[in-house]
Amino acid sequence: MQQLLQLLVNGVALGSVYALAALGFVIVYSATGVVNFAAGQFVMLGTFFGVAAIVQAHFPIALGYLAAVIGMALFGVLFFLGVHLPLRKRPVVSVIIGTVAIGIVMQNAALLIWGPWPARLPSPFGDTAISIAGAAISMHALATIVITALLIAALYALLYRTGIGRSMRAIAQDSEAARLIGLPVTLTLVVTWALAAACSAFAGLLVGPMWFADVNMGEPVALKAFAATVIGGFGSVQGAILGGLFVGLVEILGASYLTSTYKDLLAFGVMIAFLLVRPQGIFGERIGDRG
Amino acid sequence: MNRSRFLSAVPVGVALAVALALPAFCSDYMVRLLSTAAIASIAVLGLNLVFGYAGLISLGQAAFIGIGAYTVAVLTTQAGWSPWLASMAGVALCGAFAYVVGIVLLRLKGHYLALATLGLNVSFGIVVSNWTSLTGGTDGIASIPSLTLGSFVLDTDARLYLFATVVLVALCALTQAVRTSHLGRSMIAVNDDEMAAGMSGIAVTRAKAAAFAIGGAFAGVSGCLFAVHNRFVSPDDFSYVQSILYLSMLVVGGAGSIVGAVIGAVGVTLLPELLRGAGNAYLLIFGVLVLVVLIVLPDGLVSLARLPVFRRRQRSPRLDPIAEEK
Repeated sequence: MQQLLQLLVNGVALGSVYALAALGFVIVYSATGVVNFAAGQFVMLGTFFGVAAIVQAHFPIALGYLAAVIGMALFGVLFFLGVHLPLRKRPVVSVIIGTVAIGIVMQNAALLIWGPWPARLPSPFGDTAISIAGAAISMHALATIVITALLIAALYALLYRTGIGRSMRAIAQDSEAARLIGLPVTLTLVVTWALAAACSAFAGLLVGPMWFADVNMGEPVALKAFAATVIGGFGSVQGAILGGLFVGLVEILGASYLTSTYKDLLAFGVMIAFLLVRPQGIFGERIGDRG
Repeated sequence: MNRSRFLSAVPVGVALAVALALPAFCSDYMVRLLSTAAIASIAVLGLNLVFGYAGLISLGQAAFIGIGAYTVAVLTTQAGWSPWLASMAGVALCGAFAYVVGIVLLRLKGHYLALATLGLNVSFGIVVSNWTSLTGGTDGIASIPSLTLGSFVLDTDARLYLFATVVLVALCALTQAVRTSHLGRSMIAVNDDEMAAGMSGIAVTRAKAAAFAIGGAFAGVSGCLFAVHNRFVSPDDFSYVQSILYLSMLVVGGAGSIVGAVIGAVGVTLLPELLRGAGNAYLLIFGVLVLVVLIVLPDGLVSLARLPVFRRRQRSPRLDPIAEEK
């Protein structure tokens, strides 16, 4: 029982990270139609921005988090200018290969800057654990869940309570019509990319203390975020959250109760099953609309 | 053969003569790279059928190559089959598996298909890494025997390169035959407009599944050659990263073009040598180059030949505003 509680908390914490990574992917996809295959490298870069600010520049942790998130938001804007704009009228395969190519660039730039050795990103809550009903629960895992919940609440407030959020949703529905009624489409797209990169930065900052900060960490995160997106539904915010939590729980519970060797196969098996039976995912768009 | 066909055959013949003569002028290492390039070209040629003609984005090509390579590796080292027989089994298995995958994933398009095939490739990697009794896990399988032609053993890089080039040329001819056949035209029609193709009586399902099956069989040929060339297989050689690389070879070279597929595969395989001076920054430069090609030459390197300087006929302007909106 204690073990189950511990696993559930860890699963939800890891799932929160996947959910944030998937959100970074989904926000961009619904507003722009861009399938960002560099999404995992965004998370990796978020972790290393944290390493640079907190470990290398000795910022206090809160300030370091802020610096990393702002740095990533600026990076998102750069990505919009350097990758999204030149490729915006191109077929889906060019976007896939283009974002993969830029992901390779990001990964190897990180390798050149930070080197191949894993770094340790400290948690704001240290390595402490608290005891709940006999189970040792890591403070960082609990904090990850709480921070993710707050971020999601903030995201919903932004999307549904502010003007920029309304124009983001309008552009996601129909960017031509949004332009016709005079919404600032380009500015909104800039904000969208910055927001997506900031979500990825949080995913990176929160997963950093769970794993080691390693320049190769982007790919596994990206694959899980893709699985989460497909399961939850392409282009759906609540789908990304639910899908992320599901993938995290499957990974942690599956590894412990079913098979640790094939734990990753479970998530991808579910993803492929969803693609076959319900390709639009739990909350997704109608598949006839895009594709 | 009329005059224009003769004229277009000349550069192909010259390229082939140069390709076959190359080993005499290159270092052993370079010949090894060239064989790798020829083997990759075969896989990319298969992908050209799947994506270039039928428009199905597959990020699973490396898994099909892996199935071919592992079939040869397992059957020759554990069951003592001859490499030829094992290769035939490998190609047949790949084609059959790709056909089944094609049928099962038929509903999916665009990035959905890309992610499904990517998931398949990741799953393949996990299974191969962990099914230790059959595949040797991450240690891989070593001492795969070489192919023999009578008493002639294809055990040097130069010999294998020549053999792989001959296979590549034969498969290019086969691709061209498919391209101009009813089946090939059906694939292209399905790519252009699936609904219109279906309405005009083209068997959409059959065309897509056939593209997958033939593309998979090509991947199988590539995998068999990979196994007898390297004489060692391990899961890393067939990871989803490789699949992405194959698709970028095709897109960089020019999707839908046989010449483009070969140029892309050879170019991307040899690029590390050209960038050797860049050291650790090689992959960084590689990524930037791919992005630049995608932005500047959306139809791939092969479209360089169609620049106004070289162009004999004016292409008709695209009057296709609806397709542009997608």
